[in-house]
Amino acid sequence: MRKHLMPEMKEGGVNVTPLIDIIMCLIIFYMLAAKIGVSTGAEKMELPSTLQGTKIEMANTLLLNVRSGPLNDPIVTALVDKEKQELKLIDRSGGKVTEPLLETLKALRAKTPEFKVIIRAEKDLSYRFLEPVLLVCAKADVKNVNFNTAQVQKERIE
Amino acid sequence: MRLRSAKAVHYDSGPNMTPLVDVVMVILIFLMLAGSFGGAEHFLVSNLPLKQTGPGSTVTPKNFVPDTPLEIRVDPRGAGFEAVAGRIRVTDADALRNQLETMLRQFRDAGTEPAKVQVIISPNRSVRYENLIHVYEAALDAGFSKVAFAQSHG
Repeated sequence: MRKHLMPEMKEGGVNVTPLIDIIMCLIIFYMLAAKIGVSTGAEKMELPSTLQGTKIEMANTLLLNVRSGPLNDPIVTALVDKEKQELKLIDRSGGKVTEPLLETLKALRAKTPEFKVIIRAEKDLSYRFLEPVLLVCAKADVKNVNFNTAQVQKERIE
Repeated sequence: MRLRSAKAVHYDSGPNMTPLVDVVMVILIFLMLAGSFGGAEHFLVSNLPLKQTGPGSTVTPKNFVPDTPLEIRVDPRGAGFEAVAGRIRVTDADALRNQLETMLRQFRDAGTEPAKVQVIISPNRSVRYENLIHVYEAALDAGFSKVAFAQSHG
């Protein structure tokens, strides 16, 4: 009697299954963890670390990056109308005295009463640079001011 | 004589994976280049106090009762700070938190709810932001919910 043998299988190349497995894992990781196309205008800086803190909704929010500037004036930058801008406290260019930061805050506050400000500053910054920004927020009647801090894991402290 | 076929039979064991791998690699490279990872960050929430004078003054209702103020003066001390609130004088955040917890109990005993106490941090102009955040966090940790910064002194 003639036996029916299984046909001989010929491998044409390398086995790519493990490669696909790993790549799919990497894609899922990047899709979940990476932030794409979301810009809040946050600049890279060394933030103070805290255990306390909450997550807040970024809607109706203006993130102010505060850095030390010449003399006692801070340099404040923010993403306004999808464009990174320096918002001076007092601008004397063009023979006119304007207050870009105050005007921007007032305009945004007028649009939405729930408007809030997020302050983002280097941990070594002196209060003399932060104070004028807080005063402008108060002048613009922005009551909700939040401070961006780096999250510390509890285990690291214990 | 029987001749064997010159062409060996090739059996494919599954679908062709090459286009899938190409597309997946393109997506992976795109995500790696376009994505950014921020460190874990969060926010300390503050509410500026209602007041009738100075910057940020607001028109308050007729029967408005202002919150009980608790001022914490913060001065620089080397790389750290010195915080003074009433009779307490401390130089680190843990000690400050413990003292503020005691003060909170005293407020409760006196019939003042913590939500009706406005903690006002009054820093020196040269205090580092990091130290102010530590004072701020100590006040929140102690159980006060209304914390804000005041104009500097010194």
